[in-house]
Amino acid sequence: MSDVSPTPGFAPRFTAHGLVRGGQRLLPVSVFVFPFGVAYGAAAIEAGLSVDQALVMSLVVFAGASQFAVLDLWQAPLPFLSLALVVLAVNARHFILGAAISPYVNGLPPRHWFGSLMLLSDVNFADSYQAMKEGERDAAHILGGGLVLWSVWAIATAVGVFAGTLLGNLERFGVDVVMAAFFAALAVGMVPSFKAALPVIVACAVAVLALPLLPTGWNIIVAALAGGLVGVVFPSESKATP
Amino acid sequence: MTVDAQTAYLAIAVMALVTLSTRLGGAFVMRFVTLSPRVTSFLEAMSASVLAAIVVTFIVNNGTREALAVGIAILVMLATRSAIWAMFAAMAFAAGFTVFLT
Repeated sequence: MSDVSPTPGFAPRFTAHGLVRGGQRLLPVSVFVFPFGVAYGAAAIEAGLSVDQALVMSLVVFAGASQFAVLDLWQAPLPFLSLALVVLAVNARHFILGAAISPYVNGLPPRHWFGSLMLLSDVNFADSYQAMKEGERDAAHILGGGLVLWSVWAIATAVGVFAGTLLGNLERFGVDVVMAAFFAALAVGMVPSFKAALPVIVACAVAVLALPLLPTGWNIIVAALAGGLVGVVFPSESKATP
Repeated sequence: MTVDAQTAYLAIAVMALVTLSTRLGGAFVMRFVTLSPRVTSFLEAMSASVLAAIVVTFIVNNGTREALAVGIAILVMLATRSAIWAMFAAMAFAAGFTVFLT
Protein backbone atom coordinates (compact mmCIF):
# COMPACT_ATOMS: atom_id res chain seq x y z
CA MET A 1 0.00 0.00 0.00
CA SER A 2 2.59 2.52 1.05
CA ASP A 3 5.35 1.07 -1.06
CA VAL A 4 6.48 4.59 -1.77
CA SER A 5 9.47 5.38 -3.94
CA PRO A 6 11.49 8.43 -2.94
CA THR A 7 11.55 9.65 -6.54
CA PRO A 8 9.49 8.62 -9.58
CA GLY A 9 11.17 5.82 -11.47
CA PHE A 10 13.36 4.95 -8.46
CA ALA A 11 14.44 1.33 -8.59
CA PRO A 12 16.62 0.00 -5.80
CA ARG A 13 19.61 -2.10 -6.83
CA PHE A 14 21.69 -4.67 -4.99
CA THR A 15 25.16 -5.13 -6.45
CA ALA A 16 28.73 -5.91 -5.45
CA HIS A 17 29.71 -2.32 -6.24
CA GLY A 18 27.23 -1.02 -3.71
CA LEU A 19 28.46 -3.55 -1.18
CA VAL A 20 32.05 -2.34 -1.56
CA ARG A 21 31.05 1.35 -1.41
CA GLY A 22 29.16 0.79 1.84
CA GLY A 23 32.03 -1.21 3.30
CA GLN A 24 34.68 1.34 2.39
CA ARG A 25 32.77 4.19 3.97
CA LEU A 26 32.55 2.36 7.29
CA LEU A 27 36.13 1.09 7.51
CA PRO A 28 37.40 4.14 9.43
CA VAL A 29 34.28 4.31 11.62
CA SER A 30 34.50 0.64 12.55
CA VAL A 31 37.61 1.36 14.63
CA PHE A 32 35.30 2.82 17.27
CA VAL A 33 33.39 -0.45 17.54
CA PHE A 34 36.54 -2.28 18.60
CA PRO A 35 36.74 -1.26 22.29
CA PHE A 36 33.11 -2.23 22.82
CA GLY A 37 33.70 -5.64 21.30
CA VAL A 38 36.72 -6.21 23.53
CA ALA A 39 34.72 -5.13 26.56
CA TYR A 40 31.88 -7.44 25.60
CA GLY A 41 34.18 -10.42 25.11
CA ALA A 42 35.80 -9.89 28.50
CA ALA A 43 32.46 -9.29 30.23
CA ALA A 44 30.96 -12.41 28.65
CA ILE A 45 33.75 -14.59 30.04
CA GLU A 46 33.27 -12.92 33.41
CA ALA A 47 29.54 -13.72 33.25
CA GLY A 48 30.31 -17.40 32.73
CA LEU A 49 29.95 -17.85 28.98
CA SER A 50 32.42 -20.16 27.33
CA VAL A 51 34.83 -18.87 24.70
CA ASP A 52 32.76 -20.47 21.93
CA GLN A 53 29.46 -19.18 23.27
CA ALA A 54 30.70 -15.59 23.52
CA LEU A 55 32.03 -15.72 19.95
CA VAL A 56 28.98 -17.42 18.48
CA MET A 57 26.73 -14.87 20.16
CA SER A 58 28.65 -12.00 18.55
CA LEU A 59 28.50 -13.73 15.16
CA VAL A 60 24.80 -14.61 15.10
CA VAL A 61 23.26 -11.85 17.22
CA PHE A 62 25.54 -8.89 16.33
CA ALA A 63 23.76 -6.39 18.55
CA GLY A 64 26.11 -5.20 21.28
CA ALA A 65 23.63 -3.59 23.65
CA SER A 66 21.42 -6.68 23.82
CA GLN A 67 24.43 -8.96 24.15
CA PHE A 68 25.60 -6.97 27.16
CA ALA A 69 22.08 -6.89 28.57
CA VAL A 70 21.64 -10.68 28.71
CA LEU A 71 24.89 -11.15 30.66
CA ASP A 72 23.08 -9.98 33.80
CA LEU A 73 20.49 -12.73 33.28
CA TRP A 74 23.04 -15.42 32.43
CA GLN A 75 22.51 -17.82 35.35
CA ALA A 76 21.01 -21.29 35.52
CA PRO A 77 18.10 -21.75 35.23
CA LEU A 78 18.20 -19.38 32.29
CA PRO A 79 15.06 -17.18 32.30
CA PHE A 80 14.23 -17.65 28.61
CA LEU A 81 11.13 -15.51 28.37
CA SER A 82 12.53 -12.46 30.15
CA LEU A 83 15.78 -12.91 28.22
CA ALA A 84 13.89 -12.86 24.89
CA LEU A 85 11.80 -9.85 25.95
CA VAL A 86 14.84 -7.90 27.17
CA VAL A 87 16.52 -8.54 23.81
CA LEU A 88 13.34 -7.44 22.04
CA ALA A 89 13.10 -4.26 24.09
CA VAL A 90 16.79 -3.36 23.74
CA ASN A 91 16.70 -3.97 19.97
CA ALA A 92 13.27 -2.43 19.36
CA ARG A 93 14.96 0.66 17.93
CA HIS A 94 15.81 -1.48 14.86
CA PHE A 95 12.11 -1.24 13.97
CA ILE A 96 12.46 2.51 13.60
CA LEU A 97 15.65 2.19 11.55
CA GLY A 98 14.07 -0.43 9.27
CA ALA A 99 10.93 1.64 8.79
CA ALA A 100 12.98 4.72 7.92
CA ILE A 101 15.10 2.92 5.35
CA SER A 102 12.18 0.88 3.91
CA PRO A 103 11.63 3.06 0.79
CA TYR A 104 15.14 2.12 -0.35
CA VAL A 105 14.78 -1.64 0.11
CA ASN A 106 11.12 -2.59 -0.25
CA GLY A 107 11.16 -2.88 -4.04
CA LEU A 108 13.89 -5.52 -3.98
CA PRO A 109 13.45 -9.26 -4.58
CA PRO A 110 13.16 -11.16 -1.26
CA ARG A 111 16.73 -12.39 -0.91
CA HIS A 112 18.19 -8.97 -1.68
CA TRP A 113 15.70 -7.40 0.70
CA PHE A 114 16.81 -9.85 3.38
CA GLY A 115 20.47 -9.24 2.60
CA SER A 116 20.08 -5.49 2.90
CA LEU A 117 18.53 -5.72 6.33
CA MET A 118 20.12 -8.73 7.99
CA LEU A 119 23.05 -6.74 9.44
CA LEU A 120 21.20 -3.46 9.94
CA SER A 121 22.53 -1.57 12.97
CA ASP A 122 22.69 2.02 14.17
CA VAL A 123 26.02 2.75 12.52
CA ASN A 124 25.47 1.42 9.01
CA PHE A 125 21.91 2.73 9.09
CA ALA A 126 23.15 6.25 9.80
CA ASP A 127 25.77 6.05 7.05
CA SER A 128 23.66 4.38 4.35
CA TYR A 129 20.59 6.48 5.07
CA GLN A 130 22.70 9.59 4.54
CA ALA A 131 24.21 8.13 1.36
CA MET A 132 20.77 7.30 0.01
CA LYS A 133 19.49 10.78 0.64
CA GLU A 134 22.46 11.93 -1.43
CA GLY A 135 21.51 9.66 -4.34
CA GLU A 136 22.89 6.22 -3.50
CA ARG A 137 20.51 3.65 -5.01
CA ASP A 138 22.22 0.44 -4.08
CA ALA A 139 20.75 -1.29 -1.04
CA ALA A 140 23.83 -3.54 -0.79
CA HIS A 141 25.46 -0.39 0.62
CA ILE A 142 23.77 -1.23 3.95
CA LEU A 143 25.03 -4.81 3.91
CA GLY A 144 28.55 -3.68 2.97
CA GLY A 145 28.75 -1.42 5.99
CA GLY A 146 27.17 -4.13 8.12
CA LEU A 147 29.74 -6.72 7.05
CA VAL A 148 32.62 -4.43 8.06
CA LEU A 149 31.04 -3.75 11.46
CA TRP A 150 30.21 -7.43 11.92
CA SER A 151 33.80 -8.49 11.17
CA VAL A 152 35.26 -5.92 13.55
CA TRP A 153 32.72 -6.87 16.22
CA ALA A 154 33.66 -10.57 15.94
CA ILE A 155 37.43 -9.94 15.97
CA ALA A 156 37.13 -7.56 18.91
CA THR A 157 35.01 -10.09 20.81
CA ALA A 158 37.71 -12.70 20.23
CA VAL A 159 40.35 -10.32 21.61
CA GLY A 160 38.19 -9.60 24.66
CA VAL A 161 37.47 -13.28 25.25
CA PHE A 162 41.18 -14.02 25.06
CA ALA A 163 41.99 -11.21 27.50
CA GLY A 164 39.22 -12.33 29.84
CA THR A 165 40.41 -15.93 29.86
CA LEU A 166 44.02 -14.90 30.33
CA LEU A 167 43.64 -12.27 33.03
CA GLY A 168 40.97 -13.88 35.18
CA ASN A 169 38.95 -11.58 37.41
CA LEU A 170 38.62 -8.34 35.47
CA GLU A 171 37.00 -6.22 38.17
CA ARG A 172 40.36 -4.63 38.92
CA PHE A 173 40.33 -3.32 35.33
CA GLY A 174 36.82 -1.96 35.70
CA VAL A 175 35.44 -4.25 33.01
CA ASP A 176 32.35 -5.03 35.08
CA VAL A 177 31.06 -1.44 34.83
CA VAL A 178 31.51 -1.15 31.07
CA MET A 179 27.98 -2.23 30.23
CA ALA A 180 26.29 0.09 32.72
CA ALA A 181 28.52 3.01 31.68
CA PHE A 182 27.91 2.37 27.99
CA PHE A 183 24.15 2.08 28.46
CA ALA A 184 24.00 5.21 30.60
CA ALA A 185 25.92 7.10 27.91
CA LEU A 186 23.65 5.76 25.16
CA ALA A 187 20.53 6.71 27.12
CA VAL A 188 21.91 10.22 27.69
CA GLY A 189 22.58 10.48 23.95
CA MET A 190 18.99 9.48 23.18
CA VAL A 191 17.52 12.20 25.39
CA PRO A 192 17.80 15.54 23.59
CA SER A 193 15.94 17.68 26.15
CA PHE A 194 14.73 17.69 29.73
CA LYS A 195 11.18 16.98 28.60
CA ALA A 196 12.37 13.95 26.66
CA ALA A 197 13.92 12.63 29.90
CA LEU A 198 10.52 12.06 31.53
CA PRO A 199 10.03 8.49 30.18
CA VAL A 200 13.56 7.61 31.31
CA ILE A 201 12.97 8.95 34.82
CA VAL A 202 9.70 7.03 35.13
CA ALA A 203 11.39 3.88 33.81
CA CYS A 204 14.16 4.18 36.42
CA ALA A 205 11.62 4.57 39.24
CA VAL A 206 9.56 1.61 38.02
CA ALA A 207 12.67 -0.55 37.62
CA VAL A 208 13.74 0.09 41.23
CA LEU A 209 10.25 -0.37 42.72
CA ALA A 210 9.54 -3.56 40.75
CA LEU A 211 12.96 -5.15 41.30
CA PRO A 212 12.13 -6.91 44.60
CA LEU A 213 8.62 -7.84 43.42
CA LEU A 214 9.19 -9.58 40.07
CA PRO A 215 11.24 -12.52 38.76
CA THR A 216 14.68 -11.79 37.27
CA GLY A 217 14.61 -9.38 34.34
CA TRP A 218 10.91 -8.57 34.48
CA ASN A 219 11.38 -5.27 36.30
CA ILE A 220 13.32 -4.11 33.22
CA ILE A 221 10.55 -5.16 30.85
CA VAL A 222 7.85 -3.48 32.94
CA ALA A 223 10.02 -0.35 33.23
CA ALA A 224 10.63 -0.26 29.46
CA LEU A 225 6.90 -0.51 28.77
CA ALA A 226 6.15 2.19 31.34
CA GLY A 227 8.74 4.47 29.74
CA GLY A 228 7.28 3.80 26.28
CA LEU A 229 3.76 4.64 27.48
CA VAL A 230 4.95 7.87 29.09
CA GLY A 231 6.53 8.71 25.73
CA VAL A 232 3.15 8.23 24.01
CA VAL A 233 1.23 10.30 26.55
CA PHE A 234 3.81 13.09 26.71
CA PRO A 235 5.53 13.02 23.32
CA SER A 236 8.63 15.17 23.06
CA GLU A 237 9.14 17.14 19.86
CA SER A 238 9.70 14.00 17.80
CA LYS A 239 12.44 13.84 15.24
CA ALA A 240 10.98 12.91 11.85
CA THR A 241 13.73 10.37 11.30
CA PRO A 242 16.01 8.73 13.86
CA MET B 1 25.38 -21.65 38.70
CA THR B 2 26.79 -22.00 35.23
CA VAL B 3 24.50 -22.55 32.27
CA ASP B 4 24.96 -25.85 30.44
CA ALA B 5 26.08 -25.66 26.80
CA GLN B 6 22.86 -26.88 25.23
CA THR B 7 20.73 -24.33 27.08
CA ALA B 8 23.25 -21.60 26.32
CA TYR B 9 23.14 -22.22 22.57
CA LEU B 10 19.36 -22.43 22.63
CA ALA B 11 19.29 -19.03 24.33
CA ILE B 12 21.74 -17.62 21.76
CA ALA B 13 19.52 -18.95 18.95
CA VAL B 14 16.48 -17.28 20.52
CA MET B 15 18.42 -14.02 20.81
CA ALA B 16 19.49 -14.25 17.17
CA LEU B 17 15.92 -14.84 15.96
CA VAL B 18 14.44 -12.04 18.08
CA THR B 19 17.15 -9.63 16.92
CA LEU B 20 16.71 -10.58 13.26
CA SER B 21 12.97 -10.00 13.56
CA THR B 22 13.64 -6.46 14.84
CA ARG B 23 15.93 -5.82 11.84
CA LEU B 24 13.40 -7.08 9.30
CA GLY B 25 10.22 -6.01 11.10
CA GLY B 26 10.39 -2.27 10.49
CA ALA B 27 10.75 -2.48 6.70
CA PHE B 28 8.29 -5.37 6.58
CA VAL B 29 5.40 -3.58 8.26
CA MET B 30 6.03 -0.52 6.08
CA ARG B 31 4.84 -2.62 3.12
CA PHE B 32 1.36 -2.55 4.61
CA VAL B 33 1.10 0.46 6.90
CA THR B 34 2.94 3.61 7.88
CA LEU B 35 4.36 3.85 11.37
CA SER B 36 2.08 6.18 13.29
CA PRO B 37 3.63 8.99 15.37
CA ARG B 38 2.32 7.25 18.51
CA VAL B 39 4.13 4.02 17.69
CA THR B 40 7.29 5.96 16.88
CA SER B 41 7.02 7.87 20.17
CA PHE B 42 6.54 4.60 22.03
CA LEU B 43 9.57 2.94 20.44
CA GLU B 44 11.79 5.99 20.92
CA ALA B 45 10.85 6.41 24.57
CA MET B 46 11.18 2.68 25.19
CA SER B 47 14.66 2.51 23.61
CA ALA B 48 16.11 4.96 26.12
CA SER B 49 13.98 3.62 29.00
CA VAL B 50 15.12 0.03 28.71
CA LEU B 51 18.78 1.06 28.84
CA ALA B 52 18.18 3.29 31.87
CA ALA B 53 16.24 0.52 33.61
CA ILE B 54 19.12 -1.91 33.09
CA VAL B 55 21.60 0.62 34.50
CA VAL B 56 19.49 1.36 37.59
CA THR B 57 18.97 -2.36 38.26
CA PHE B 58 22.72 -2.91 37.96
CA ILE B 59 23.40 -0.12 40.47
CA VAL B 60 20.83 -1.39 42.99
CA ASN B 61 22.24 -4.92 42.72
CA ASN B 62 25.81 -3.67 43.24
CA GLY B 63 26.88 -0.58 45.14
CA THR B 64 28.72 2.70 45.56
CA ARG B 65 31.59 1.92 43.22
CA GLU B 66 29.22 1.07 40.38
CA ALA B 67 26.91 4.01 41.08
CA LEU B 68 29.81 6.48 41.02
CA ALA B 69 31.23 4.91 37.85
CA VAL B 70 27.89 5.34 36.09
CA GLY B 71 27.64 8.93 37.36
CA ILE B 72 31.05 9.65 35.85
CA ALA B 73 30.00 8.05 32.56
CA ILE B 74 26.94 10.32 32.41
CA LEU B 75 28.99 13.45 33.14
CA VAL B 76 31.63 12.55 30.56
CA MET B 77 28.90 11.80 28.01
CA LEU B 78 27.28 15.18 28.65
CA ALA B 79 30.63 16.91 28.32
CA THR B 80 32.07 15.06 25.31
CA ARG B 81 29.01 13.45 23.63
CA SER B 82 31.23 10.42 23.18
CA ALA B 83 30.08 7.04 24.52
CA ILE B 84 33.63 5.71 24.11
CA TRP B 85 35.14 8.33 26.42
CA ALA B 86 32.28 7.83 28.87
CA MET B 87 33.00 4.11 28.93
CA PHE B 88 36.75 4.56 29.40
CA ALA B 89 36.32 7.14 32.16
CA ALA B 90 33.97 4.84 34.08
CA MET B 91 36.34 1.89 33.63
CA ALA B 92 39.32 3.90 34.84
CA PHE B 93 37.39 5.07 37.90
CA ALA B 94 36.13 1.57 38.75
CA ALA B 95 39.61 0.10 38.30
CA GLY B 96 41.13 2.78 40.54
CA PHE B 97 38.43 2.25 43.14
CA THR B 98 39.10 -1.50 43.26
CA VAL B 99 42.86 -1.08 43.40
CA PHE B 100 43.04 1.74 45.96
CA LEU B 101 39.91 1.47 48.09
CA THR B 102 39.25 -2.24 48.51
